[in-house]
Amino acid sequence: MIARAALFVQRELAGALRARWFLAYSAVFLAGGLLLVTFGLADTTIYGYRGFAKAFTGLVHLALLFVPLLALFPAAASIAEDRESGALEYILAQPVTFGEVYTGKLGGVSVAILLSLTVGFGVAGAVAVLRGVPPGLVVVLYAFVALLALVFVALGLCFSTVTSSRARAMTLGILVWLVLVALGTLGVMLAFIRWGLPEQLLVTWSFLNPVEAFRMGVVSALDADLSLLGPVGAKIIERFGAGGTAALAALSLVGWVALPGLAGWVLFRRRG
Amino acid sequence: MRPEATPVIHAVGLTKRFGSHTILDHLDLEVAQGERVALLGLNGAGKTTFMRCLLGLVPFEGALRVADRDVHGGGREARSRLGYVPQRAPSFDGTLGEVIDFFTRLRGTAPEAVEARLEALDLPLSEHGEKAVRTLSGGMLQKALLALALGAEVPLLLLDEPTANLDAKARREFLRSLQQVNDGTTILLASHRFADVEAVADRLLVLHRGSIAFDGRMQELRERVEDAVTLWIKVPPAMRDRARQQLQTTIELSTVLANGTALGVQAEHTARVDVLLELKRAGIPVEDFWTETPSLHQLLEGVLGLEAAEGEAP
Repeated sequence: MIARAALFVQRELAGALRARWFLAYSAVFLAGGLLLVTFGLADTTIYGYRGFAKAFTGLVHLALLFVPLLALFPAAASIAEDRESGALEYILAQPVTFGEVYTGKLGGVSVAILLSLTVGFGVAGAVAVLRGVPPGLVVVLYAFVALLALVFVALGLCFSTVTSSRARAMTLGILVWLVLVALGTLGVMLAFIRWGLPEQLLVTWSFLNPVEAFRMGVVSALDADLSLLGPVGAKIIERFGAGGTAALAALSLVGWVALPGLAGWVLFRRRG
Repeated sequence: MRPEATPVIHAVGLTKRFGSHTILDHLDLEVAQGERVALLGLNGAGKTTFMRCLLGLVPFEGALRVADRDVHGGGREARSRLGYVPQRAPSFDGTLGEVIDFFTRLRGTAPEAVEARLEALDLPLSEHGEKAVRTLSGGMLQKALLALALGAEVPLLLLDEPTANLDAKARREFLRSLQQVNDGTTILLASHRFADVEAVADRLLVLHRGSIAFDGRMQELRERVEDAVTLWIKVPPAMRDRARQQLQTTIELSTVLANGTALGVQAEHTARVDVLLELKRAGIPVEDFWTETPSLHQLLEGVLGLEAAEGEAP
């Protein structure tokens, strides 16, 4: 089983390299990361590595903007594109199981995305470390960005199993991403003020929304500063502490990888 | 008489429903090793659904085995015993060599076996291996998929209208390629083309409303074709009624059709010359004549006892 799934991982990786999106993504992450680190670290001469906060905030927003979308595109295309071209039926007519095909595709897209992230953020992170940022911070940032990417790979693949075309899968993915961003702190706070919902619900929502969970987790782990966290974040830090918030956020993101991943597998088996 | 060996396809009470619509209705079927079977039927008869059941791609009721392997429960084992050529070859990413490599590794097939098949099908990897699959013609792709299926040396070959999207030349080449299939390999061919059926099959299965409406030998269909050929004769318009009367009174004809320009006669093939001679004897000039072979669709309508389409001059 593993050998056959590995063949699909290889196939997806080869496809990523051939389609050149891998190189384009790496370049986007690299350019964005380097720009922010270079300009952000200009303040380190005055404030020490805490001047990294500016670059760091930029990186968080860069990640929130690009990582979900860039992860969604290849994942949403993965199964839907094969279905559109007739390749999926031919593949499933071979002596393979649905599970092997699905895990192979999930693994392949995940590895390709993580590699391009590693190239892009890796170089930016190395520059940051060379300029005095503690390596631990860079590693934690990378881990959260990687988790965010995997969340949207799992979501994209899940949409890919239930839609008949690549375009529909991508549209669905972008729509979900927009809703999740729109239902971030600001939107939810407005709703809470308007309807007077309990604070506990706002806190819970911050962990249930993967976009918010990523923001909360990464900021609390690296620089639990009120100006970066916002009022909701500050409340959460007060309740769970910086480490607890980061751990809960990471747990939420892992759940967001596992649930759509499993749902996609069940739907793929059903729909074929 | 059917051979007694373990059937390569064995279906008992095979039923497939989509909602309230029954596509396959308690189908019982045996296909023996080495048989060349054409699966025919009008559109929506259930041919593709039957193929998908064999491939284990759709859930179904009843029992279905391929080369003694149960298709239920995913059917991976059953799929390892069959090769499949779809109606339209998918446009895979990558080069032909990469695609062949991927599928041979996936199946655990010896690469040399597939390469030898590609050579025999006039598609050597040494020449075409570096070409992007998207640049290959439909005929070349179908041949590549056939080579993959043949290279796996499986007992059953499923061909789902494999020439439907090929031009005449590619179709001829593909059908010629099928002659390389080992005698012991069973072929199940779904098709809408009489030429394909005639080139490949010795047994015919006609599906209709989810059941097997006809299970017979190719020879039976050939005889039906012979009997159903229409001889069209063009005579001057003023003499058409006379010609029609003359033929109906002097020659035993099954049918005399007429359209705007010609008379159509269905008679045993040995009597067709007599028809022309009789008109000459009666002093009716024949301006032109031609024969029209019924389409497979028309033959199926005849086999199924459905109302035949109105005869029209081609």
